[in-house]
Amino acid sequence: MTNLTRRQAVATGLAGAALTRCARPPRRFPVTDVSVVKASSYGPAVYDIIGRLLTEHRLDLRGRRVVLKPNLVEFDEHTCINTHPVVVHAAYEAFRKAGASVRIAEGPGHRRGTLDLADAAGYFSAVPRFDELFTDLNTDAVSKRDIPSPESKLTSLYLPHTVLDCDLLVSLAKMKTHHWAGATLAMKNLFGLVPGGVYGWPKNVLHWAGIPESIVDLHRLFPRQFAIVDGIVGMEGNGPIQGTPKTAGVLVAGSDVAAVDATCCRIMGIDPRRIEYLKIARGEENLGESAFRQIGEPIRSVKTDFALMDAWSGIRDSNARGSGEAPSG
Amino acid sequence: MNWKDRQNPDGGWAYSRGCSWTEPTALVLLAQSVTGFEESSEPGLNYIRSAARPDGGWRPQSGVDESTWVTSLAALLPADTLGGDRYESAIGWLKGQTGRESGWSYRLRQRLAGNRDDFPEGWPWFPGAAAWVVPTSLGILAFERARRHSGDAELRTRINAGRRFLLSKICADGGWNYGTNRVLGRDGDSYPETTGIALLALHGAPASAALARARAAAARHLSRCRTAEGTAWLRMGLRAHGEKAEYDLTPVLRTNTDAALSIIAAAERNPFLT
Repeated sequence: MTNLTRRQAVATGLAGAALTRCARPPRRFPVTDVSVVKASSYGPAVYDIIGRLLTEHRLDLRGRRVVLKPNLVEFDEHTCINTHPVVVHAAYEAFRKAGASVRIAEGPGHRRGTLDLADAAGYFSAVPRFDELFTDLNTDAVSKRDIPSPESKLTSLYLPHTVLDCDLLVSLAKMKTHHWAGATLAMKNLFGLVPGGVYGWPKNVLHWAGIPESIVDLHRLFPRQFAIVDGIVGMEGNGPIQGTPKTAGVLVAGSDVAAVDATCCRIMGIDPRRIEYLKIARGEENLGESAFRQIGEPIRSVKTDFALMDAWSGIRDSNARGSGEAPSG
Repeated sequence: MNWKDRQNPDGGWAYSRGCSWTEPTALVLLAQSVTGFEESSEPGLNYIRSAARPDGGWRPQSGVDESTWVTSLAALLPADTLGGDRYESAIGWLKGQTGRESGWSYRLRQRLAGNRDDFPEGWPWFPGAAAWVVPTSLGILAFERARRHSGDAELRTRINAGRRFLLSKICADGGWNYGTNRVLGRDGDSYPETTGIALLALHGAPASAALARARAAAARHLSRCRTAEGTAWLRMGLRAHGEKAEYDLTPVLRTNTDAALSIIAAAERNPFLT
């Protein structure tokens, strides 16, 4: 038996880890479609746009159980923290008309009064029978799910039955900068699936397990997803709560949620290859512009640099600066 | 309040609808402890007893095999209704829980990075996570109750540490949010419900300028609070400090927890303090 000194053992371990990383074959992802559609306001046109998006992506929805998961974070009817209620209602109507059985569900991580929050955000007034259609994921019945090959320190999570039992999870995200993750889009929006009734407010176990890694683990637990990101008015600066409104005038959608997020980053003037959770999810080599097929508006026509906190200045996409002006409708 | 109609067949109560959870069930029972126990109380207590776990803590819901912060709520129920052994087990489990940031390895790493903060011991929502304002406030209240029946010095030590934790988490506006008072150098805003519950937990703390500012923040929140939970905790917090807790807005009672907390806030005797 060979006796290794502690230094030799550490060196051997590090070398082994490095070799394992080098030996990992490059990951390949199919080229998927991401739709970018201009939308100048939260007017009636949003209903048509979202209906067309579903047709464009040829989703098989008849008889399917669909859960719409908006980003509902904080009370303040005068700011742009939450997914706009018109986007939520338009998505509800579009999926319903396509033959799906639709529920709206969210588990906010900052506030415990979910229904009060939804009311303040305008959801009760914008969505008829909202109270009947809505499930508070913080207090839904839960079951434990193991996380196969976790990226984070988590090995399992308790998750709400409403989302575990659905056929399609739709992340109705808001286009925002984020002080811990750089950007919060469709993937980060899934933090709201984790039940506060089990893990608390905020869902701090995810922070200790690694925020980018937990985002990826949650994303992988739900392989049947669609994403619609509300970038009509997003948030820049100190997001996701205390930032300032930023008009980007777009809706971005697709079945490949990481591709949708990477596209949103480019629209925001952020290099997706510098967003840790996207790197973990796909690898830097699969985040280039050619990795996705853009449908609708070219990114350059809607790109508008979102202001970044100093701590996040390094994620700015330095190759192609946007005008910094909001695009016209 | 017709609690019987809202009760699930397993004896517990949901937050608003669906399956029973420990938190709303414990809050309904605390509300009943001031209005008088009734027909629904015993099934409710049975649900609470069934949520006790072998490690001494309480599960938040029957589908969860972990003990969490709701153990504090169980420990705030009248001890005789839980059974003496269960009550002692709850206090024992709570003694073993601290925020992860109070652990030696985290403190050491922070010291090495030049952070000289104190990291007083509070309570986490979930084992292994950091301490936060709501579970720490409930932990303090549970230990205050336990201390009335015990000379255990550890209870006093944890109460004092919990108070220091709360005082370290005051926001720039004088109140509390869930516990992130600054992020990347920017101040966070306080919330009504967390300001109210922290103030309630600090009812026995020595007078200070920070507490005076907290009372003022609570009064400001109460004057414009639209949620039942926020209004109830603010009323309890202000009254615990001898302040009037007048409010003009009548919030909507959306959930069983809203209804239970509103009853408790309106009662002469606060079951969180007696």
